[in-house]
This record gives sequence, C-alpha cells and structure tokens, in this order.
Amino acid sequence: MTDTTASTHSAGTTVVTHLHKGDSPAPEVPTEQILAVSAKEFIPLWKENLQGLVNKGMDTLTQPLFNWAGRNSLFPLHLGLACCAIEFAAGFGARWDAERFGVVPRSSPRQCDLLIINGTVTWKFSHKLITLWEQMPEPKWAIAMGNCATGGGPFRTAYSVVPGVDKLFPIDVYIAGCPPRPEAMLDGILRLERLIRERHG
Amino acid sequence: MTAVSSWPEALARLKAEVPDAITGESARPGVLAVLAVPAPSIRRLATWLRDEGTFSHCSLVLGIDWIDHMEVVYHLWSDALKGYLELSVTLPAEDPHVDSLGGVWGGAIWHERETWDLLGIRFDGHPDPRRLLMPEGYKFHPLRKSFELREPEELEVKSRHV
Repeated sequence: MTDTTASTHSAGTTVVTHLHKGDSPAPEVPTEQILAVSAKEFIPLWKENLQGLVNKGMDTLTQPLFNWAGRNSLFPLHLGLACCAIEFAAGFGARWDAERFGVVPRSSPRQCDLLIINGTVTWKFSHKLITLWEQMPEPKWAIAMGNCATGGGPFRTAYSVVPGVDKLFPIDVYIAGCPPRPEAMLDGILRLERLIRERHG
Repeated sequence: MTAVSSWPEALARLKAEVPDAITGESARPGVLAVLAVPAPSIRRLATWLRDEGTFSHCSLVLGIDWIDHMEVVYHLWSDALKGYLELSVTLPAEDPHVDSLGGVWGGAIWHERETWDLLGIRFDGHPDPRRLLMPEGYKFHPLRKSFELREPEELEVKSRHV
C-alpha cells in the first residue's frame, strides 16, 4: 500500500491526497448522505441550537441595557503623562465636573474601560502604556487627548517620542489641541458615548 | 592633615600631593577654576578632591561632542570654599571611555548613566551601567552629532519587558 492515493474525478483531473503511512484511504461520503440527518438525531441538535438561540435572544434584549449603562459610566484610567493631564484634572474639578456624565477616574486599569492618553508618549513609556492597555478588561476604548498623543505634536520627529499613540493600539476618538481645554475633553467623551451607541447599540 | 581653607592653598597642595593629575588650568567666571585632567588620573584626582580638597558634592557630569573629540565635564561643589570647581577630560572620538566616579561621589552615577545613554561615553567600573532615559535595547546614542533623524520604525524597541 502506498502513502498516497489517487482518485479520478468525473472531470478527468487527478487529485492526490496525502495520507499517513499505514492509514487506509478514507471512504468518500456523498454530501447528500451527510445532510440527511434523521429526526432522532435532529432533536438534540435542535435543542442545542435552541439554547444558543435563547442566549442570543437574551443578548439582543439586554445589549441596549448594558450599552446604555456602559456608555454612561465610562471609567477612565487616572493616568497623567504631560501637561494635558492638568486639563484632564481640571475637567474633574468643580468647574467642569466630568462626573455628571458618569466619568469617574479609577486608579487601577482593571476597573477601567476608557484609556485617555493625555500627553507625550515616549518609546520608553510605550511598553508600560501597552501593558496598562492590555490589563484593562473588554469592552474598552481609548481617547488620544492633545496633539502629542494624536500625532507626536511638536516632538513628532524627536528620537524619543512615539509619533502618535495609534502606533501602539487602536484609538477611538482623537482630541486636537495643545493642550485641549477641558470642554474639548468632555466633548471627546460625549462623542465617544455617541460612537458606542451607534457602533454597539 | 587639615582641610584646605582657600582655593590657592588647595591648588598648591593638589600640585604637590597629586603630581601629573592636571595638565592645564584656566579661569572662567562663576567657578574657582577649570582644570584639564588626563583621563587616566581622573579617579585619583577625584578621590583627593573629595577627601582633602573639601569638594564633597559632584553636582554635574556632562558630555560634549566636539565631532573630532569628546569631552566630559564635572562640576564639583565645596562647602568650605563656597565655590564650584570644573574638571574637563578630553577623550578621543572613537570609543570614548573614562573611569567612573560613581564610587567617589554617589551622585555621579545617574549623570554618568545619562552621558552614556545620550552620547555613548563609557564609564569604566560604573556600578549600574544601564541606559537612563532611553529604553533598554535602543540602538542609538541620540545626542551625538552623527545621529540623524530616523523613521519611527527604527526607533521602536519591540521587547515589552524592559
């Protein structure tokens, strides 16, 4: 017995199927025979699919609720990189009060679903930033705040600066400005809320 | 031996007690003196300046790329003399290296790490010869005059565990 077997198809082409040594050639099962499932076998399959259908239905029903809850309680990581962090901090103060939109900075990436990169990212810090991003549970979003995070800003050609944090991981909302005012940061967060509603609502 | 009380006295004793440690002496406003030091005798001179010359504080170590040669400058502060002393070591452009003063003044350790990181001047016998500002694995010494602007792909260090 050889380790390859050849079968001639009706069109006349020869297909060589490689087999392990010692294996017998696999019997060819016609497609019609595979599709023909008896009712006895069908009922358990149908029950499994029903469970999946119920799960999917529950997801469809609860998705808007979870989406509503998630987008109205975005918890950003309390991370300050550069001068944009001052605007970030001011945004959570009494004057702008980002907490009225449900945005509460948290100190652990494991409790966050939003990463606001507010400042210049250097190559040395990029590894730490990726680690923080990977520590955050799904679903998660990222905002590049200010020109440095968006595209490197005035340090774009520097030897030490990442020219745009989207070289490291995907960004959902870019906020321009050097630095952007807290209103711009709030606008970016509200745009992200709209994006979440439209993309996953 | 008693500690020195004035800079001329310190200089006279330095020339007597550490012969051949300095090759030149010049003046600059703001510092007691600028001493040109040959690279092999820097550690001997630094130890004397700390123990006998009352220069207890090394406030700055910096490197200069003069293209045809390299220079390392040390700024030392003396509480007793109320003044700075500047030491200047000239090094060749190819493979510049000088003895580390990290064992003499602990404060020199970070400055020497920075000088190694940005200018590629090696400090022999350094207790912690890592880069300071750039990530480990970075291939360049970016403040050298020969460093040119590069694409970000060249600058990125792929390893995340640094």
